Amino acid sequence: MRPFTALAALCGLFLSSSNSLVYADSTPSSSPVALPRDFKPPQVFKNNNLVRNTNLEKGYLRETVNVVVENVDKKPQSDYYLSFPSDLYDKVGALEVRDKSAPEQGRFEVEATEFDSNRDFQYFVVHLPKPLAPSSQITLGISYSALNTLKPRPAAISQTDRQYLAYAFSAYAPSAYTTATQKTKIKFPSTNVPDYTTTDLTSGADPERQGATYTYGPYADVAPETTYPASVRYEFTKPVITATLLERDLEVSHWGGNLATEERYWLRNNGSKLTDNFNRVEWTISSYQQLPSSAIRELKIPLKPGSVDPYFTDDIGNVSTSRYRPGKVPNRDASLELRPRFPIFGGWNYSFRIGWNNDLSAFLRKAVTGADSYVLKVPFIEGPKVPEGIQYEKAVVRIILPEGARNVRYELLEKATSNGLPGANQIQTELTSHKTFMDTLGRTALTLTVEELTDEARDSQIVITYDYSLWDGLRKPVTITAGLFTVFVAAWAIGNIDVSIKKR
Amino acid sequence: MSLNEVWQAASASPYTPPVSKDSQFFVGFSLLLAAFILTGLFGLNRSFLSIASFGVPASLAFGFGAVFIICAVGVYV
Repeated sequence: MRPFTALAALCGLFLSSSNSLVYADSTPSSSPVALPRDFKPPQVFKNNNLVRNTNLEKGYLRETVNVVVENVDKKPQSDYYLSFPSDLYDKVGALEVRDKSAPEQGRFEVEATEFDSNRDFQYFVVHLPKPLAPSSQITLGISYSALNTLKPRPAAISQTDRQYLAYAFSAYAPSAYTTATQKTKIKFPSTNVPDYTTTDLTSGADPERQGATYTYGPYADVAPETTYPASVRYEFTKPVITATLLERDLEVSHWGGNLATEERYWLRNNGSKLTDNFNRVEWTISSYQQLPSSAIRELKIPLKPGSVDPYFTDDIGNVSTSRYRPGKVPNRDASLELRPRFPIFGGWNYSFRIGWNNDLSAFLRKAVTGADSYVLKVPFIEGPKVPEGIQYEKAVVRIILPEGARNVRYELLEKATSNGLPGANQIQTELTSHKTFMDTLGRTALTLTVEELTDEARDSQIVITYDYSLWDGLRKPVTITAGLFTVFVAAWAIGNIDVSIKKR
Repeated sequence: MSLNEVWQAASASPYTPPVSKDSQFFVGFSLLLAAFILTGLFGLNRSFLSIASFGVPASLAFGFGAVFIICAVGVYV
């Protein structure tokens, strides 16, 4: 019996360490701030000058608002309310507010408030890091994207027609405070803008047209939350690519020295639907002539230098209409060019998965802060790079660390300008265990969920540190070793049992 | 210390795996072959001494060999 006892002790040694697997707290995105019924932001600020830049060059709306804010109260104030029309509020993503004169100091903390259907406007609260003294000013740089706000008009077109998108907005920029002067610049993808609202709010022409840029305003002394409905309709003969869901897995393997990436997309084209049935002959002709089309024809995905073993599959199996151009380490990106099985017209869906491998040495380093500490730096989102842009309604990024990794900490890198991601309090974090091949305890998986994301976040990076000891690494081979060793001991023990029929 | 500073401070120590990707198949296959032969030798004489001389090395070779061969075939564990 002694060998069995020894074996049990050996197994216990490695399996008992499961208790030491300490998970960092999982944090849901912070709950919205509750505001009283019929809340109106206190009129403690005044917008001295506001310039709103609306960019319609991509398949989603991107706005930056630069506003000079003055404290008109007698006390220092630190909470600035950003107001959004109720129909836009839920679609706002990657909201970021910075001090325009010192953008390198990072983003200000922004909190969402609870949606109140009784109000026409909903609010985000910007917490200024230092209260603004009475009569002093600060210039805020506010940037955000809004998904699914551009509607195809007409809603249905024929296969070779040009596509037009309509955007409805208020000529007065929405604001919770009185605005002394303001204007709105709208940048279109082309000069083909068949319909746009003209106003008589200024003495001259409104909007003022200059190439593909239309400027509404300047308007003087606009009261808080005043609206002036306006709309524009412009040519956009490109697909409106929307990923209803993106699941992205990054799997770290210390034994294999590999970083495996897999992305699963559920794509939809939000452009105009087809009035008639799909015509293959027309499609072939227009593809041959390289005419612009509202359908998704091809997706180009730049990958990190040194990416290998790419694959592209969907529900049917391998999709052979893809090309891979390997890059050159260390600088030239690789390129994965995907052609879906069919062109994706407005209202059509396509789901697929792609994946590839990288050498881990470019992404993982041994931290100098601790003996068993590692630091991992990986792209948060990669995905296709197309001129028309991509909007992600929901992105779930899961970083699967080796089995036994603990003390997991992460940080999304900030840049001097927007990294395309919302603030940390808008990102839901979860730390779970993921069981797959050769696992006993399951691997530590850090899952980050972001809603309302766009491809502006392509260059964002995440840094993760974790502790991982030699014993954690040896868990896999030692478990298998113990398994085979048990077989040997069993063979010896059973072989030693005397089953002969004789007198004892 | 922000995590990005931790990353930059560690620039001199990129992670190197115990066996490079190119030699994983060779190492894994050799270890599995050794495990196979040692298991055969144990089978010839199933004594307690054989467990120590053949069983333990065979188990170790199989344990590490299995990990390297599964990596070599593309399932990075």
